Amino acid sequence: MASFERPIIWVHADCLTPTHPGLLAYPDAPAVFVFDEALLADWEISLKRVLFMYECLLEMPVTLLKGDVAAQVSAFARQHQADAIITSDSPSPRFREIVAKLRQSMPVTILEVDPFVDYDGHMDLGRFSRYWRTAEKYAFDVREP
Amino acid sequence: MSELQPLRREFASREDLIAYVTAQFPASAEIDSHASPIPGGRAAGLRALGAVDGAKYAATRNYLNGRVSRLSPYLRHGAVSLSEVRDHVVRRTPKRHESEKFVNELAWRDYWQRLYAKLGDGIWRDREPYKTGFRPADYADALPDDIMQGETSAACIDGFSRDLRETGYLHNHARMWMAAYVVHWRRVKWQAGARWFLTHLLDGDPASNNLSWQWVASTFSHKPYIFNRENLEKYTAGAYCRGCPLANNRRCPFDKTYEQLGAELFPNAPPEGR
Repeated sequence: MASFERPIIWVHADCLTPTHPGLLAYPDAPAVFVFDEALLADWEISLKRVLFMYECLLEMPVTLLKGDVAAQVSAFARQHQADAIITSDSPSPRFREIVAKLRQSMPVTILEVDPFVDYDGHMDLGRFSRYWRTAEKYAFDVREP
Repeated sequence: MSELQPLRREFASREDLIAYVTAQFPASAEIDSHASPIPGGRAAGLRALGAVDGAKYAATRNYLNGRVSRLSPYLRHGAVSLSEVRDHVVRRTPKRHESEKFVNELAWRDYWQRLYAKLGDGIWRDREPYKTGFRPADYADALPDDIMQGETSAACIDGFSRDLRETGYLHNHARMWMAAYVVHWRRVKWQAGARWFLTHLLDGDPASNNLSWQWVASTFSHKPYIFNRENLEKYTAGAYCRGCPLANNRRCPFDKTYEQLGAELFPNAPPEGR
């Protein structure tokens, strides 16, 4: 992993845990979460979902903002004179778009969350049963505590 | 610094927090202002994990009062991870056949996430044609108000609608029944139901949610999923049917055999596809 002097951690809604890989790798780095107001509006997200996320975030050492995610994360990075942004991976297309915007101003490192199935080879995703034929071989492998 | 306006992090009580979040997110409160009794946070997720019993889960998970884990909101937001939940349950359940079903159900989430990485916003489009004998244009675009308000008169459907809006949680079997009712009995596009679920479900994940709706609709499965009263009554211990005005009036739309329902709901589909 590349090493940075003054990274910030960008936390997004797929990894709301104090065991976030960015927080573990850089325990002293400032961390930020931005409620994506455009997404909340587009998807008509009700209050109870916002509250649930908020309660998760209150257990994390993270500054809470709302608004445009890329703009707010960039402003937070500038405020802390950051040289990099660390975040965790997500399959969401919106995540990819935000990362692309952030990369216009500084490096973004995407950390993996522990995989459920530790297998990098081909997976047939046509139907669950085909996926499971491969995944089953690894799905019961427990990591050492 | 002046351009950033951090939200508050200190609250005297949950009521205090709810009032603040309501004031900060008025558009979300306008959509629906209920606060779920299910608390957010990793600590709450770990408490739910501590209560998981793989063997009892396998035996009772299809019943609405079965020993399901209720971990889904915590998994969806990564408050607990799939791998740590698996590790915990497998370690505590040395007999593989007792943890097998639970791990298999965790794998569904892994599967949906892998598909999301591949399909992106394609999860909003029909993966395949409907196998119902109908074209997409035969399905309505919008969810009818009586379903959203819980005023269909079917006690089960109205109960699920209310639980969804008030708690942000539905048992998986209730989700399947509700989705089947929306798409097959009311002939509404699955996308309308999927959007409604994402509005309310605490575990609302676009991939798991949309692709499961597509499975019910038959745009991501070989045939449409339907249910009947006997099935619902069995897995709910009759809780809804007992007080239902339709059940007691012989007007229950689900009180038929699967053969009758298939012929009524999908008159244009070949019999083997029903």
